[in-house]
Amino acid sequence: MELSSYIGKRLLAIIPLVIFATLLTFILIQLSPVDPAEAYFSASHIQPTEELLAEKRHELGLDQPLYVQYLHSLAQIARLDFGTSYLSNKPVWDEVTLRLPATLQLAFTSIILTIIVSIGLGYLSAVYSHSWVDYFSKALSFFGASIPQFWLGYLLIFFFAVQLDWLPVNGMGSWKHLVLPSLTLSLALIAVYSRLLRASILEQLQEVYVLYARTRGIHEKVIMLKHVMKIAISPVITGLGMNFGKLLTGTIIVEQVFSWPGIGRYFIEAIFNRDIPVVQCYVLLAACAFLLCNLIVDIVQMYMDPRISLKGRTDS
Amino acid sequence: MIRKKSTRFLPKIAVLLALLITVLGCANPKPAANDKAAPTQKPKEITVSWMRDLGPSNPHAYYPNQLFSQSMIYEPLVSYNEGGELKPYLAESWNISTDGKEYTFKLRKNIKFSDGSSFNAAIVKRNFDAILKNKSTHSWLGIAKVLEKTEIVDEQTIKLTLSEPYYPTLQDLATVRPFRFLGEAGFPEGDDTLKDLKAPIGTGPWMITEYKQDQYTVFTRNPNYWGEQPKVDKVTVKIIPDSETRVLAFEKGELDMIFGEGAISLDAYKQLQSTGKYGTALSDPVGTRNMLLNSSNEKLADQRVRLALQHGLNKQSIVDGITGGVEQKADSLLSNNYPYVDLKVNPVDYSTAKAMAYLDDAGWKLAPGQTIREKDGKKLELELVYDKTDPIQKVMGEAVQAAWGEIGVKLNIAGVELTTATKLLREGKFDVRFWFNSGVPYDPHTLINAVKEPSFGVAEAHSRIPMKQELDRKIQTVLASTNEVERKKLYTEILTTLHEQSVIVPISYIKQTVVYNKSLSNVTFPASRWDHPFNGIK
Repeated sequence: MELSSYIGKRLLAIIPLVIFATLLTFILIQLSPVDPAEAYFSASHIQPTEELLAEKRHELGLDQPLYVQYLHSLAQIARLDFGTSYLSNKPVWDEVTLRLPATLQLAFTSIILTIIVSIGLGYLSAVYSHSWVDYFSKALSFFGASIPQFWLGYLLIFFFAVQLDWLPVNGMGSWKHLVLPSLTLSLALIAVYSRLLRASILEQLQEVYVLYARTRGIHEKVIMLKHVMKIAISPVITGLGMNFGKLLTGTIIVEQVFSWPGIGRYFIEAIFNRDIPVVQCYVLLAACAFLLCNLIVDIVQMYMDPRISLKGRTDS
Repeated sequence: MIRKKSTRFLPKIAVLLALLITVLGCANPKPAANDKAAPTQKPKEITVSWMRDLGPSNPHAYYPNQLFSQSMIYEPLVSYNEGGELKPYLAESWNISTDGKEYTFKLRKNIKFSDGSSFNAAIVKRNFDAILKNKSTHSWLGIAKVLEKTEIVDEQTIKLTLSEPYYPTLQDLATVRPFRFLGEAGFPEGDDTLKDLKAPIGTGPWMITEYKQDQYTVFTRNPNYWGEQPKVDKVTVKIIPDSETRVLAFEKGELDMIFGEGAISLDAYKQLQSTGKYGTALSDPVGTRNMLLNSSNEKLADQRVRLALQHGLNKQSIVDGITGGVEQKADSLLSNNYPYVDLKVNPVDYSTAKAMAYLDDAGWKLAPGQTIREKDGKKLELELVYDKTDPIQKVMGEAVQAAWGEIGVKLNIAGVELTTATKLLREGKFDVRFWFNSGVPYDPHTLINAVKEPSFGVAEAHSRIPMKQELDRKIQTVLASTNEVERKKLYTEILTTLHEQSVIVPISYIKQTVVYNKSLSNVTFPASRWDHPFNGIK
């Protein structure tokens, strides 16, 4: 099968999954006891009367039967129209695209930081297993995996911004603003992937091909970088690829702590205020991000490891 | 084949990622204003924070527009001052017809909007008409409900005609929204300002000169301002949603001031105060933190039970312990800094003996060996619903639970989202809950209106008190009264009845907090709860 046809099929498979995601979101929102009209007035510091609520519900189309509401939103989505925000009265897509670059910037920086540090630390702690580098990496991974992200954010702000005055506390603008939020996001990933790479390298070092290479007198660095790393890095790429989707949609806490103007913060407000069109759009984007990341990881894996065949993937 | 390609593929990915970051980084080239603001040097520029984006700053619309920024840009016809005194503002005088249905305002002369256009009767009418296009949306405010028409008498005079007399008209017109005035160039096509706005143009002392959504808004002085110019040239409002981050940014010097209710936790306020490094201040009471005992619940229909529950609360201890003295113990529904409120009621003091006596008298007996009182085989068990995002409500709920446990009342507490809590209140589906009055400048008329009008939850909570009909009649009368003496007398009667009935149990008076760098001076609170504090700061 041609690669382009494989990609096409995978992209087409996104459609039913996305429809399912929107349906699920719609059902979950309906299970909430609060209706969006009430949430709107609550956010506006207004005590609504029954008439006012009824008028708002009518304006938002919430007095229609549920299936009509859902089909209407689905038809809008099919036209790539995500509707109008209940709260701001602006097109949701405009609101999202305004904030998306900030989240992408943070996610990209974090993933690159994670890649660089995880590979470096994982490699060194495997090569110098049971040395101080390994112990440091181990301690860092315990710390990174166990500390809650918001708490880590506060600690980093306290030390690097307030005490040392090296970096700004919050906001967005220069590269300095990126450092602390990226670090906060990356640390948990570094904790996992540096140890995963270490384990993977150590496992590969037990393989026969390494022994052959050594007996052939190939230099240790060549064995490590050209042969072992190429295979050992495979699970790390898979994990990071999947995590990129998670980063795009999971920066909410970090955006809140660092006042980062991304979609995470916008989404949180939308949930609290039952801004259904925004929630639907976010879920749709998140689903697409996960599925696309999955696809990209698969393709990269195929390029990197020829043992992973296109045929096998298509059959499965 | 694929293997060969992979060696070229990786560097390409790296380059692509680097490019993407560069491009995305360039999308936001400007640093947030005043990141390095040195608060000790330049009091002429101050940087403050707010929890959410200020929105388009539309004077006639609600969320996401923020009240304090609307109050910086737009002004009312009359202003609300200490003790509820109403003074001329954009209107230099007014006349009220004897039947209380016509209000004629003489507008101040030589007032210009920030874009240089004139403020006159025509633009006032245009604003009123735009507001009345969405009358029902604004009908939560009494004046919007009764305002029938507006007429231009002459260039500087405008007349409002009401469908029925409504004495709080001036007080409602003094509120931040929606009755403030947008300049002509700010009107959208069709004048439906609730839906859209072209530009935030007002007559107020401030105007927006820079706005970056979700990041910051910069206000500078309006050069055309008719009144005394503010002492500072520029106010930068940084959007910082997290209260702990706000405190850290303040400690670092990135902020000069943190103000507003809930802007920082009371613990953080006390901690900053204890350092002695910063200026701190508490406002006069701006609202009351109450508990609402729903009389439509059979157990709470008995006044003796409600009084017992109030006697069972050691308010002083609760307020001191939980708010660290930032809030003030409340003995009556409203503090005495509201118009027409000069209550001399006997406080319902803390006395477990009185509480138990009331409960025994009401038939709720504590059997030997039992911890919960019973009557006719039913336990005296109630549920308190609180907003789980409010840390004070949770702790206070637990304190009340412990206090009532001592008099044999079991209180179950349940945290829900704010919107759910609001819905339950509106539907009257609760036993006990926290409730906050609107405060200055909306009370006392908004409070008594809530007692009368269904669908705010408060009327439902009062539904089983014996004099409800009489109370509703008095409320209707006072809102339409044209006689000051009669109005004051009626208010005293109504508020005394509410106090005695103990459906609303006042716990504490809420105050606004401000922490500021000591390089700033004359930091005071506005008389109105939702106004901004920047005009007087030096």
